[in-house]
Amino acid sequence: MSKKLYQIIGKILDVPASEINDESSPETIENWDSFNSLMLADELESEFNVSFTLEEIIDSANVAAIKKHLKNHGVSLDD
Amino acid sequence: MSLNTHKLSYYISKAKSSNGSKFDKKIRIALLSSFTINGLEETLRVLCFQNKIDCKTYVGNYNQYNQEILNKDSKLYKFKPDITVLIFDTRNFLGDLFFSPYAISSKKRGDFVNNKTVEIQELVNTFSKNSESKLIISNLAIPTYSPYGIYEAKADFGLQTMVTKFNENLIQFSKNNQSIYLYNFNQFVTKYGEQNVFDYKQYFLGDVKISTNYIPSFANELMGYVKPTLGLNKKCIVLDLDNTLWGGIVGEDGYNGISLGDTPSGKAFVEFQKILLSLHQRGIILAINSKNNPVDAMEVIKNHPNMILREENFACIKINWNDKLSNMQEIANELNIGLESIVFFDDDPMNRELIRSTIPEVLTPELSKDPSQFPLVLLNLNDFDVLKITGEDSKRGEMYQQQRKRTELSQKTKNLDDFLNQLDIKVKIKTASEFTLPRISQLTLKTNQFNLTTKRYQEEEIRNFINSPDKVVACAQVTDKFGDNGITGVYIINKDSNEEWSIDTMLLSCRIMGRGVEEGMLDHIIQEARNVGVTRIKANYIPTKKNKPVENFLPDFGFKKENDLWYYYVDDKVKKPKHIEMIVEK
Repeated sequence: MSKKLYQIIGKILDVPASEINDESSPETIENWDSFNSLMLADELESEFNVSFTLEEIIDSANVAAIKKHLKNHGVSLDD
Repeated sequence: MSLNTHKLSYYISKAKSSNGSKFDKKIRIALLSSFTINGLEETLRVLCFQNKIDCKTYVGNYNQYNQEILNKDSKLYKFKPDITVLIFDTRNFLGDLFFSPYAISSKKRGDFVNNKTVEIQELVNTFSKNSESKLIISNLAIPTYSPYGIYEAKADFGLQTMVTKFNENLIQFSKNNQSIYLYNFNQFVTKYGEQNVFDYKQYFLGDVKISTNYIPSFANELMGYVKPTLGLNKKCIVLDLDNTLWGGIVGEDGYNGISLGDTPSGKAFVEFQKILLSLHQRGIILAINSKNNPVDAMEVIKNHPNMILREENFACIKINWNDKLSNMQEIANELNIGLESIVFFDDDPMNRELIRSTIPEVLTPELSKDPSQFPLVLLNLNDFDVLKITGEDSKRGEMYQQQRKRTELSQKTKNLDDFLNQLDIKVKIKTASEFTLPRISQLTLKTNQFNLTTKRYQEEEIRNFINSPDKVVACAQVTDKFGDNGITGVYIINKDSNEEWSIDTMLLSCRIMGRGVEEGMLDHIIQEARNVGVTRIKANYIPTKKNKPVENFLPDFGFKKENDLWYYYVDDKVKKPKHIEMIVEK
């Protein structure tokens, strides 16, 4: 499922999925601005059928954080 | 999300590769708003690109529309937009009153609305003074929450009345100012639902008031203004019959076996036909392109009790065993309209694919297998939108019926001269006025075939010409024994000097072509020139893909070519065809 996550992030932020890792963040990806964070949250919500809280969206400073929130909503990203 | 739209992320990523600079149709759109509208400009550019329009956009700084409009030297005006969209929102407009309207008296609520109206009116007037752009202002979404709850409706000038009153004021001044159009944002919110369009999370995160999921639908609504501004609106709907206008196949299921009315799916076809009829009544031409036994199909059209569209509603009927492609081309020829002004409805995916791949100019929407979805497909097309509905538009159906009778007469009459003599054609030349100006602009935007220079003029430009002492703008209303064709010809003259005039524009609606009206109009221009001592008329023919019919008009009339331009030396000859009667209305 990590693969699916990377594909979504790659699509929204216009970077190859292969370049995304846990450390990827607004500091390392140029297109990751505040509006794209919002688009990303929206896309993840519909793709994984979850609803993030406002705090979770604000606290999505890197990919590792996003994974943590997805796991909290019961999304398994292990394989 | 509405039909035919993708998610916003699709448009944002597509925007980078959607460079339309190769397209002839160009538009510059400025977007001003009181909240975040990220993604809107990208979506508009992609939608324009898909419609073969080169679109340049400008987005005003966040909530700074006031400054941009008031400052003559602002980036907004430097951008020189063709269309400017000003989007307000109710929260921003009401401020504290959004939640606490009843903290002040009803009189103060009334004053508040009056003051805001004056403020916006002054802003709009300033804009009109500084720019020739069309201005689209949105109205306000009527709040669904009120602290008064169910008592709201009884409140004295309550919260909802405040917003309704302001919206009515907007309607008034958009009616009084020709270059201002009112966008019904409240209707947009009603259509998709406030709880979908407004997303609390996005609002708190980024002052987003149209959620990202609905930006594509919103952009699609704005395309309803872009297309007619460029004359890209559709004029004609071509329809298949079996499983499109009724359920089943009349050749197999028989007159009594088709599904039309009564049953649930039969009702869907009736509803679809009712919408088609409503479009026909406001000027959209209908035609039939069906592979069928003509006797079986016409029996249904003429006699079936639940049929809504009847023979007289169709300007052209092709029911035969020919292929749909040649039928389509014949329909366009007979109606004298371009393929690009046609929308084609057919339930058969093969037929849709045939038309899409061979004549992509024709718009062929996807139709679901389920007829209950047909009405929505039609209702979601904004390709019939026009910025103005003129008298000619609503009479068009009648005019095409008259046209069918003319064709019948021409088939009965032995030669063209006899036919023209019998038609009893009168051409009334009218100097352009505020009343005829919308139609004149519309003709310059839409006329492709009989158009010497194909110059497109918005209403604002025509108005400037009328007020200029160096221009003559006139139009021709053509009547004959079958009825009134309405205003179908336009010419615009530049008075270059005391000796020379030049023809900036001369055009004739394709319905009227070939009946001598064109010679009558040109002869009239020459008479007028002679009356004021002008000795030479200059004209230009600018070839386009479509205006071949007018290629030899100037030399045939007696113009001589000198250095790529055409000249006529004013003489005493009368070149008006005998069968035409000219009436000049000053």
